[in-house]
Amino acid sequence: MPQEIYVLIFGYIVGFYMAWNIGANDVANSMAPVVGAKAVTIRQAIFIAVILNVIGAVFIGSHVTNTIRKGIVSTDILTDPHLVLIGALSAMLAASLWVNFATWKSLPVSTTHSIVGAMIGFGIVAGGFSVINWMKLAAVVMSWVISPLFSLVISYFLFKIILRLILSKKNAFIWSLKLSPFFIGSTVFIVVLSFLFKTPLGKNLSIKALDALMLAFIIAFIFGFAGMKILKHFVKESNPHGAEEIFRFIQIGAACYVALAQGANDVANAVGPLAVIYFLVKTGNVGASVPVPVFLLLFGGIGIACGISMAGHRVMDTMGKKITALSNTRGFAVNFATATTVLVASKMGLPVSTTHAAVGGVMGIGFARGVEAVNLSIVYKIMLYWILTVPAAAVTSMVIFKILQFIL
Amino acid sequence: MRIPFFNMFMTSPFEGLQEHAEKVKECSLVFQQAIECHFSPKCSTFEEFRDEIARLESEADAIKRRIRGHIPKRTMTPVSTFLIFRYLKQQDAVLDAVEDTLDWISYRSETKMPVELEKDFALLVNTVIDPIENLASMVAEAREYFKSYSEKQRAVVKDIIHTLHQQEREVDKFEDIIKKKVFNMEIDAVSIIYLVRLAEIIGSIADHAQNAGDMMRAMLSK
Repeated sequence: MPQEIYVLIFGYIVGFYMAWNIGANDVANSMAPVVGAKAVTIRQAIFIAVILNVIGAVFIGSHVTNTIRKGIVSTDILTDPHLVLIGALSAMLAASLWVNFATWKSLPVSTTHSIVGAMIGFGIVAGGFSVINWMKLAAVVMSWVISPLFSLVISYFLFKIILRLILSKKNAFIWSLKLSPFFIGSTVFIVVLSFLFKTPLGKNLSIKALDALMLAFIIAFIFGFAGMKILKHFVKESNPHGAEEIFRFIQIGAACYVALAQGANDVANAVGPLAVIYFLVKTGNVGASVPVPVFLLLFGGIGIACGISMAGHRVMDTMGKKITALSNTRGFAVNFATATTVLVASKMGLPVSTTHAAVGGVMGIGFARGVEAVNLSIVYKIMLYWILTVPAAAVTSMVIFKILQFIL
Repeated sequence: MRIPFFNMFMTSPFEGLQEHAEKVKECSLVFQQAIECHFSPKCSTFEEFRDEIARLESEADAIKRRIRGHIPKRTMTPVSTFLIFRYLKQQDAVLDAVEDTLDWISYRSETKMPVELEKDFALLVNTVIDPIENLASMVAEAREYFKSYSEKQRAVVKDIIHTLHQQEREVDKFEDIIKKKVFNMEIDAVSIIYLVRLAEIIGSIADHAQNAGDMMRAMLSK
């Protein structure tokens, strides 16, 4: 059937476009605090983000994807394969267009919420309002408030603790070294738990919650003290910004994890619908979930990598403008709060977004009087775009669906 | 700014305050040279110094406008933007007073300083230089404080503010001495007005520096 081959080719193009947009819009969430704090150069940040996103996508990314992301639309609409084919295509295209628009407006949005919104649009056109799981939709709405707020509170208190225990001390360096096992340990603890609970690979290992906690604690303990020994060796007391320097290393670790997890979790936003199209063209029907071939994950990973490097080059152009972002301690607090929020909220079953958590984290530092200048008008605009994401993607998806239905 | 996430951050107003303070500091040396030149019997470069101050003043003005123009109403800063503007106004007033002094002198450039006042005016000018220069280090130390919020660093800034107060009292004292002397001199009325006003304008430099210190103290409040 030549027509379906064309659909598949079109699907690949749109899927790549979606992945590219994910990279361009999301990379800043993990890497901005690190680059802003000058913990790594922009080139290094791009390199790290590209490598980790691809690794995350291919090795940790899910090899099975739900046909309808996040189960927000009832699977009843899946009976007609032709409809699903058009639906997957229009959802993917609508979500990418919205994310691309937001990137063009330079506002970070949630790529997951975009694809969810687009799926809702497709669901409504294909099956009416009754196919929408309103409880799940309510969870999405709740996550707009809960994840930034949660992250804000964590980063606020974490930064206050760092101020009280380290920065305000006479010999900040000694204190930061003394307490480094605690900060490294907590970061490793969150990272290990996230890895076990949140990544598809971790889920396959199926370790029980209690065992996971124990394992995370032991690994955190070892890493904490080993990290202190290594830092002692690398960071010299004579360094006037020794305390910040110590947090620089911890922060890079936390940001690397966010990049890895992003690759693992977000690749499905692009590759999921693509896998559905691929599966439909190959077999002719589709169930509630479809397997994702590794080459598709790699395809998505490369797409994200391309988006990252484009966004990265833009950062390079603009960083010359003396933007005062964050110091290492503040950047660490933001990254830590982001990782923790994403872990806890997704454990609660909320479809959280790294983007929302990262912005909340920055606000927390702001409330703790830790940032020299944050533009609140931009923050309000970002929040408006979070809310607009679902309806905008839904409406676009409906329109594209109708057009594609007419053509195909 | 075309990067998602990055565009929340903006150029810090403290960056501008520091730049402005450096400009103020730069003018202190020129000011001192201008006054010394004016006191010396054959001074030919006074106007050049005056031009130099005018140039520095207009550069500082540009910085001031840039700071004001780049803080939108909704900006999250460690201290209220209102205080930042009030501080900036005082820091700028220091520079204005320096310029006013040289302008005032230029109106009667042919009048030579009476010999018995030369030493007093030299002392007054010397005392007023330190507070001008202290502003830059005050801003730098304050930025350090906002990074660490350490009590030690807060004390450093408070010390500078305290010094500014002491220096202002010192300047007041010299200003007083000069005015008293002028009124007891056998000179024409216009010269009296000229000299009294000159002492007052120079004195006001320290007043504004002290006010800047007070604004900084308000920013440090917890």
